[in-house]
Amino acid sequence: MKFSLTINGREQAIDLLAPAPDCRFQFGESAPRNAQVETLWPGVYSVLLDGRSYDVFVDESTDGLVVTIDGCRFEIEARDPRRFSRKSAGHAGEGFQTLASPMPGKVVRVLVATGDTVVAGQGILVVEAMKMQNEMKAARAGTVLTLAAKEGATVVAGETLATIG
Amino acid sequence: MFRKVLIANRGEIAVRIIRTLREMNIASVAVYSDPDRTSLHVRMADEAEHVGAGPSAESYLRIDRILDAARRHGAEAIHPGYGFLSENAEFAAACEDAGVTFIGPSAASIRAMGSKTAARQSAIAAGAPVVPGIDHAVSLQEAVEFARKYGYPVLLKAVAGGGGKGMRRVDREADLAGALRDASSEAGRAFRSDEVYVEKFVERPRHIEVQVLGDRHGNMVHLGERECSIQRRHQKVIEECPSPLVAQHPEMRQAMGEAAIRAARAAGYYNAGTVEFLVDQDRNFYFLEMNTRLQVEHPVTELVTGLDLVRLQVEIAAGARLPFTQNDVAWRGSAIECRIYAEDPYNNFLPFPGKITRLSRPLGPGIRLDACIYQGWTVPMEYDPLLAKLAVWAADRDAATARMIRALREYDVAGIRTNISFFRQVLEDREFRAGALHTQFIEEFFQRHSPPEPPPEFATVAALAAALHSAARKPEAAPATNGANPWLQTGRSDLLR
Repeated sequence: MKFSLTINGREQAIDLLAPAPDCRFQFGESAPRNAQVETLWPGVYSVLLDGRSYDVFVDESTDGLVVTIDGCRFEIEARDPRRFSRKSAGHAGEGFQTLASPMPGKVVRVLVATGDTVVAGQGILVVEAMKMQNEMKAARAGTVLTLAAKEGATVVAGETLATIG
Repeated sequence: MFRKVLIANRGEIAVRIIRTLREMNIASVAVYSDPDRTSLHVRMADEAEHVGAGPSAESYLRIDRILDAARRHGAEAIHPGYGFLSENAEFAAACEDAGVTFIGPSAASIRAMGSKTAARQSAIAAGAPVVPGIDHAVSLQEAVEFARKYGYPVLLKAVAGGGGKGMRRVDREADLAGALRDASSEAGRAFRSDEVYVEKFVERPRHIEVQVLGDRHGNMVHLGERECSIQRRHQKVIEECPSPLVAQHPEMRQAMGEAAIRAARAAGYYNAGTVEFLVDQDRNFYFLEMNTRLQVEHPVTELVTGLDLVRLQVEIAAGARLPFTQNDVAWRGSAIECRIYAEDPYNNFLPFPGKITRLSRPLGPGIRLDACIYQGWTVPMEYDPLLAKLAVWAADRDAATARMIRALREYDVAGIRTNISFFRQVLEDREFRAGALHTQFIEEFFQRHSPPEPPPEFATVAALAAALHSAARKPEAAPATNGANPWLQTGRSDLLR
């Protein structure tokens, strides 16, 4: 079973030749390797590779998988090349800036209105979580095109709150 | 001794207090807000009472509701923990009026020390050195004039403040108005008083504090210092006892200890309290403020002295005499504490509340964990992001540092972001190892530090795990297989290649 992986931005192809627990795998055309893999709990794996023991945690996020080994974090996008076409980049076009909430929280203040002209560094809105307020600012000058944020609304991390163009 | 005590707090400190009460065979009463119904302090307490909605002003700061809860449950005393009402003189007075013992100092002592400006004035009167500043709430004009006279940077601080709330460093006049507004509004939300004062900012100071403990019969001791210089946003994140500086200059412990006792005595202080000092590069110390409550970081003192500060607080509140004298206090070994927060250290330490999907805790020799989290619990977004205090004890500082790194490696919290891996990097840092600490340590650490490259084999294992994980969860994508084992399907398509 082949996968195209993007690991912390780097592309890599892996072929799973035999399933866990006695797993056999191959990167690209390199020599196949063996690993002993036990699933301890959904998302928690014990991997023995070349005599070394690894506790591996796999968490699913909106952008793919986050794999953590001994505190080291790997952001991984896994695709089966025969089944999925690559997602096209779906963000706003060149010259637009998207203000996404950096944390889960609540919109406490909206400082602009749609159609307003803003200058670089101008505060657009304020998100609060855990008694910490974070003012989100325009990176460049422009016009507020969309403003999804409403005062009092609860937002998740990464949620688009405004676009400026 | 009391038979039942109410804890007017939440989170890890409520849990920590409940533990000692249980050891003392005293029943505990928890109070909780709407989002805290399933929090650990409610689960662990013997009794619990709802006191209102999520915002603190509607629950944990409601003196009337907390006293109602105490009355209904027959609690004879209230432990305020830290934060919330712990340094509120009105609350301490209201407890006494209601015939409930406040586990802490008198309302008068809280008033004397609770206002940072009044505390500065009494420290000056007691002959303790203080940093130049204006000892009352300032207007923008006064702040501007002060800064012009003493030069930038200056530090804005909440008069009623603590824990870095309502505090701002200002580097130039253009930023002063905005900073004053922000500090004032943050102070207003946190302490219901938006008064802010101004001090000259001391560059690269250490923050070292002294624990004092007095009974209601006039006896008072100090329990040594805690070094709390590692801070982010003026909030401590790593604390230790002994201070590495004091370990090199042991005479400082006695000098600071005596100064702390003098300042506390001047306010007629009893119960547990902490006198904070700034220490400059020439080892001069300046009175900063007194915290009239149990500190977040009290476990490091407990580990090194072998005392239970909460037990002593309860006993003193019940009228007991201090069971030891200054000469009996001994400091053994070295303790370090890391404050584990729900926050993203690689994105300006922004809070990151959410559901804890997986949790495993460090165990083994020399570990102490004061936590309020469990697997499946959603960390509420209404409160401080403190999840746990991980503390270790070992024979000396090097061993304690190694032990802390080991403990951090065992700590896995998933579903939210935490600062666990960040602490590992700080504790491996050469400057930290050398004990060269100051309050701008973290900013400078980020400038000199680049995250270590993981061993190459980690990427291999991560890739393998990601592929296996994806293979196991894939079936919904393949209508032709009718949910059959993807390995069989792969076998078939491999045959067709």
